[in-house]
Amino acid sequence: MTQAAVRLTDAVRLTGVTKTFGSVRAVDGLDLSIASGETVALLGPNGAGKSTTINMMLGLLAPAAGRIEVFGGSPQRAVSDGRIGAMLQDAGFVPNATVREMVDLARAVYARPLPAEEILRVAGLTDIAGRRLDKLSGGQSQRARFAFALAGNPNLLVLDEPTSAMDVASRQAFWAAMRAYAAGGKTILFATHYLEEADDFADRVIVVAGGRIVADGTGAQIKKVVGGRTVSFGLAGTGGADLWLPGVSAVDIRGDRAFLRSDDSDATVRALITSGRPFADLEIAGAGLEEAFLALTGKEA
Amino acid sequence: MLAYLKFELRRMYREPRLLVLTIAMPVILFLALSPSITEQAKNPQDAKDTLAYLMVAWAAYGALIGTFSSGVGVSVERAAGWLRQLRITPLPPPIVVVCKAIACSLVAVPAVAMLSVIGIAKGVEFGGANLALLLVLVMWLGSIPFALVGLAVGFVLPPTLAQPASFLVSFSLAFAGGIFIPVNAMPATMQSVVRWTPSYRFNQNGVDILQHHAQSAASWAIIAGWALVFAALAALAYRRSAATK
Repeated sequence: MTQAAVRLTDAVRLTGVTKTFGSVRAVDGLDLSIASGETVALLGPNGAGKSTTINMMLGLLAPAAGRIEVFGGSPQRAVSDGRIGAMLQDAGFVPNATVREMVDLARAVYARPLPAEEILRVAGLTDIAGRRLDKLSGGQSQRARFAFALAGNPNLLVLDEPTSAMDVASRQAFWAAMRAYAAGGKTILFATHYLEEADDFADRVIVVAGGRIVADGTGAQIKKVVGGRTVSFGLAGTGGADLWLPGVSAVDIRGDRAFLRSDDSDATVRALITSGRPFADLEIAGAGLEEAFLALTGKEA
Repeated sequence: MLAYLKFELRRMYREPRLLVLTIAMPVILFLALSPSITEQAKNPQDAKDTLAYLMVAWAAYGALIGTFSSGVGVSVERAAGWLRQLRITPLPPPIVVVCKAIACSLVAVPAVAMLSVIGIAKGVEFGGANLALLLVLVMWLGSIPFALVGLAVGFVLPPTLAQPASFLVSFSLAFAGGIFIPVNAMPATMQSVVRWTPSYRFNQNGVDILQHHAQSAASWAIIAGWALVFAALAALAYRRSAATK
């Protein structure tokens, strides 16, 4: 009984999962478990192995090695039981059918679907329910995919870069809908390459690069690692001494300019000003995510 | 399963290209070509027989092209990612393929029905409404192999290649079926080959009804044989396409 209860808490469990395409290791020995009810972001640059991992979780790809369990069974089993709903990057719709007909079809193939009106409302499609699928804009078509994923009221929602092609308003509406869905105890896994999105909407952020997990923690923890700032200023001939100000994790001097990598740029700048040392052309820049990923993968190696 | 079949059928009926290909074109060709050919007939009975033959041939043409090309259309659905979308629902993949085959084969029904109505208006004698219904039924079942081979092509080839391949295959099938040239006007060796094709048997089954002959068991055996071969090809092609994409 207790063992069954323990098994039930894990929505997804990957053990040593590897996938190669020719000589490329897209996913390299991934170990990962996601508890039921968690909202997890899979954060990584393009080519990190996010989509490959997702496709394996959905049973669309077979791993070269390792084991994948979804709700304690195979991914295929979870799909045929209607426990997974997914929004894929490369899945699309066919012409000559309307949004409502697509929703009706999705409802018909799942055993316990949500009411049609609710699906349309949540996905923001009520006003365009009668429109043909091939006449939708990029953002609308993305919302239609969301409706399709949501229709069966699945326990696990898997979303591969769900907000690409959405405008700001749709993005906000989408995440509001997602929050409401997660509040019902559902498990959500989404892939993204936006740190802000991962931080704002996930309980837990898993950073992948080169097919491996390079960081796993809360949004705040990850942000601290990958979201640092670079504080740079002209040294005005004062030289490179005493630059390890509060928050600084790395110091780099190029010519007459200092580049300080900082976990807390506010504290760094405050200390710089109160120190009274002369400086010129102060700039604070967010570290690029790609750069941060490189730093993370470098640290791992 | 029924929901998916309904979804697919509704999409087909809204496809203008398919309606032109399977109904408008055969009807126009039948109306355009029948006067000159019946004028050449030696006597009124001969004229009637020729008209009936032409009607069945053009109905067969519409049914063949329609079922085959709608099968090939799966290539576009594959490229759009729709089949992937379906594969992450509880709808089992074999059911998807079976529904597609049924939906594609049903394209034959309006084509044959329309040609029959036009044929009757032009003086083709069926000898009873039930024979007209029988013609529709026989030609629907007989076009199942074309839907299946269309699906096989659609699962294997990308849309850019599927189009020319589709033209080549459907033209060859229609030619072998005696739709462009009556089979008994072909050289003897060609005739012996053509008699093994599903399209010849398909066309012949229709002609048999109009001539009040019984359906030939050999014809149905050949059609069923091809249906099995094409179904196996379609299943193989589907599995291959599912593995790669």
